[in-house]
Amino acid sequence: MVIIPATSGQMGVLPGHMASIAELKPGLLSVHEGNSVSKYFVSSGFAFIHANSVTDIIAVEAVPIDRIDPSLVQQGLAEFNQKLNTASTDLEKAEAQIGITLHTALNLALTG
Amino acid sequence: MAMAALRREGKRFVPLISPTPINAIRSSLLTEEHVPVGARQISTQVVRNRMRSVKNIQKITKAMKMVAASKLRAIQTKAENSRGLWQPFTALFGDAPSVDVKKNVIVTVCSDKGLCGGINSTAVKISKAIHKLNSGPDKESKYVVLGEKAKAQLVRDSKKDIEICITELQKNPLNYTQVSVLADDILKNVEYDALRIVYNKFQSVVSFLPTMATVLSPELVEREAETGKLQDLGSYEVEGGDTQSEILQNLTEFQFSCVMFNAILESACSEQGARMSAMDSSSRNAGEMLDRLSLTYNRTRQASITTELIEIISGASALQG
Repeated sequence: MVIIPATSGQMGVLPGHMASIAELKPGLLSVHEGNSVSKYFVSSGFAFIHANSVTDIIAVEAVPIDRIDPSLVQQGLAEFNQKLNTASTDLEKAEAQIGITLHTALNLALTG
Repeated sequence: MAMAALRREGKRFVPLISPTPINAIRSSLLTEEHVPVGARQISTQVVRNRMRSVKNIQKITKAMKMVAASKLRAIQTKAENSRGLWQPFTALFGDAPSVDVKKNVIVTVCSDKGLCGGINSTAVKISKAIHKLNSGPDKESKYVVLGEKAKAQLVRDSKKDIEICITELQKNPLNYTQVSVLADDILKNVEYDALRIVYNKFQSVVSFLPTMATVLSPELVEREAETGKLQDLGSYEVEGGDTQSEILQNLTEFQFSCVMFNAILESACSEQGARMSAMDSSSRNAGEMLDRLSLTYNRTRQASITTELIEIISGASALQG
């Protein structure tokens, strides 16, 4: 079973799931094989669930969760919050917002 | 009178040569650049110069082969791993290379540097063939050129068809961010119905396959989904409330950047592999040339010694007789 972070929320995929295309948002991806679970943080991408019970997950960046440094995540979150406060143009605001969303998701993935 | 005196003393008849032992004579004769008029020594200087330059060329090509081998090792794993990026898209959309569209854009991926065998020529040849195939009454094809070598060849006869030209791709190590910016640039500035990416796929160090990958525009995918071969696409439910057309826009753009990433990596691998084999055959050629030159050198040297000996001996026998 795979739990993927779709834009509509965490989605669990079991064999026999209906064929779907899901866009991913930054979040935790966990692969459950028997009793072992491997967790990855995915930056964004797509997941295709085919009718033959094959799921393809294409991510721009995917990192195993034990390779993420929590202190750097906090640092990044504070930095982007500050950028949002000092942002003047829409572009800067959007960039800062993306940074905040990403770091919040990272935080959640590390703690959750 | 002077000549008779010289002959009586057993001296040799060539006025400019002093009677020093034979080895010294030979070496002094062979090293002087200007052979005086009337002297009968054969110069091996020309052959020796050529041998020196061929040996240098052999060293250089051997070094270039080693460099290409190490660069290939670095980039090969990356290229093979990147193949998994576009395979899910093919599983979803299928592959439709023969789709007939109005606006084709041919993206040719080539190298910046030369001395890599024939891979750039094959890629350009295939691009030109695709261009010809897709030219008709209301069809048009444009080029997007990546790489100095392809630009040089295509500018000659298709200058007006080249939309964007990108060089110096490999200045920094290749990564996805760089390629996605590139893909974004191309998608924004070029109108297309179908994008055809031509590159050399890396099969092994000695074999490269010129390949064409097709990426369709979102409108075309929708059209094919309704009427054509992509009817299975309708059976995929789209999560999250986007309509199929909205998600198709993102999907095709992502597909293009994934395919570009893989194409650029494979092309870089093929370039290094082709350079390795070109430099290898070059050093082997230089080695063979060196062998042949050595034979010529030795023959020339022995001929000149023999000539000297004949002169001395005939001079001596003329004195006695």
